[in-house]
Amino acid sequence: MRFRLSDRQVGILFMLPFLITAATFIVWPVAEAIRLAFYQYNPLRPHDQFWVGLDNFERILDDPLFWESFHQALVWTGWSILFQTVLGVGMAMLLHTALPGIAVFRGLLLFPYIVPTVVIALNWRWIFNSEIGIVNHALLRLGVISENIAWLATPDMAMASAIVLNVWKYTPFVIICVLARLQTIPTELYDAAKVDGAGAMRRFLDITLPMLKEVLVVVIVFRTIWTFNKFEEIYLLTRGGPGTSTFNLAVYAFEEGMANLRLGVAAATGVIMIVLLLVGTIVYVRVSGFGREEKPA
Amino acid sequence: MTAREVAGRVALYALLAAVTFLVCFPLLWAFFTSMKPKEEIFHWPPTLWPQTWTLENYRSLLEGKDAYFQAGAASGTAVPPSAFFLDWFINSVIVTIGTTIISTVVSTLAAYSLTRFRFPGQRSVPYLALIGYMVPSIIFVFPMFLVMVELRLTDTLLSLILGYVCITLPFCMWLMWAFFRGVPIEIEEAALVDGASRLRVFWEIVLPTAWPGIVAAAIFTLIVSWNDYLFGRVFMNSMENLPLTVGVMHFFDGTHVDWGLMMASSVLMTVPMALLFMALQRHLVAGFGAGAVKG
Repeated sequence: MRFRLSDRQVGILFMLPFLITAATFIVWPVAEAIRLAFYQYNPLRPHDQFWVGLDNFERILDDPLFWESFHQALVWTGWSILFQTVLGVGMAMLLHTALPGIAVFRGLLLFPYIVPTVVIALNWRWIFNSEIGIVNHALLRLGVISENIAWLATPDMAMASAIVLNVWKYTPFVIICVLARLQTIPTELYDAAKVDGAGAMRRFLDITLPMLKEVLVVVIVFRTIWTFNKFEEIYLLTRGGPGTSTFNLAVYAFEEGMANLRLGVAAATGVIMIVLLLVGTIVYVRVSGFGREEKPA
Repeated sequence: MTAREVAGRVALYALLAAVTFLVCFPLLWAFFTSMKPKEEIFHWPPTLWPQTWTLENYRSLLEGKDAYFQAGAASGTAVPPSAFFLDWFINSVIVTIGTTIISTVVSTLAAYSLTRFRFPGQRSVPYLALIGYMVPSIIFVFPMFLVMVELRLTDTLLSLILGYVCITLPFCMWLMWAFFRGVPIEIEEAALVDGASRLRVFWEIVLPTAWPGIVAAAIFTLIVSWNDYLFGRVFMNSMENLPLTVGVMHFFDGTHVDWGLMMASSVLMTVPMALLFMALQRHLVAGFGAGAVKG
């Protein structure tokens, strides 16, 4: 007789690997992160752990660098999202036109999304190099600037370069989402509007934009949460510098944990980030209506 | 076509070409730089097109010799960092493939189970997974490191695989769950009524239909684990165990930066992703569309 598993057994068997992995490598670390936030912990002396209560949080909230990082994270997020959205919508509309060969352009313009951040950081450091970089050379040639700009060595310019990097890498994400929505807008709407004599601008404002509203809200909230917490895009380009002028909360947490060996403070920063994230997520759930609709996806 | 339509088309193409050129420029510039001999890289004014084409940057990368670096000053070894380039590349390939297999298999099984069987609390799992997906890796990385210390796995490729599984599993789970919910259940039921075992139904009917979802989850995992820097930076110590992303940042350790070598490694790091992208571009859009627009 053949051995057969009952349905119930198959169900549990299929679930087991996920439960084990999630418990060990997601639930345990998260619990550890929350526990650590209330401890003083130096990874070089793993056995000296002290319960310090809310000291880590007090220390962070008293630290001017934390508030500086928070402020810079807002600047970084705000500009990045603004440019990503505007350029993303513009380029999606451009890519939505029915031209022969448009697929090639679509492919090329989505490509930055999968380029490793390390590669972009290397390329950026090269093209924005103040002495031999091509960007300064081009701007000099065009007469836009009269002397070399130290892109990565002055606070404002370093932040601007990081924002440009972020916009370059993640605008394709906005394009993908907007393009997917554009393709579902019935063309009859535009034809009717044309018959009524509406110009291109009117058609954009009255048809396209309202249709995109929903997806744009979701994309903006999603990208805001992600951008706010980005680490590699900043750290690999500027290491948070010059000085601390491009720190955001992620870089702050990393430096506390990795350079200052204060894992407790790093974990507490993480807890603060999670709280901010939850607020963002609640906003997201509210605006997207996720969880209310129960249609199969 | 009227003359006006032709002019409009030409203008559109010109605009598209200009935008595409701007977007692709950093990568093009990296490629051309990597093909230039050392003297030409620093030539002023710079030219886009190399006057002399050379593979010397790639050769020194693969053979591990270079005259520019103050041999591994920061890494404490006498060997230049570029000597490890091949090791790093192989490490990254192993880690990426390992992560992708584990993440897709585990999430596919679990998502199927979750949509076809009854569990207490099964409705909350996908939502929890979605929250897990939004938690940035900077929050996971230090506690994960401590878990790896407990399991005595630090500085091993396995620790990286498990770390990436942890950051990719929630989204894969969510994606596969959304996918299986959309697959009609009737064919499976018919097969079950005909006496086929549940495992056989899964293998012969469910898996083939779920293929597009699995591919989307796999692409997501491949990209995340090939591109990540943070986990490799925190988990690994020895030069020969680093993934590619952490390794090449050591090229900045010396007193001089060898841009030719740097750009050659950035090209070699991009090529696997570029090939993947070209092969699977349609799925990529479908997958991220599903992930981003629906949730």
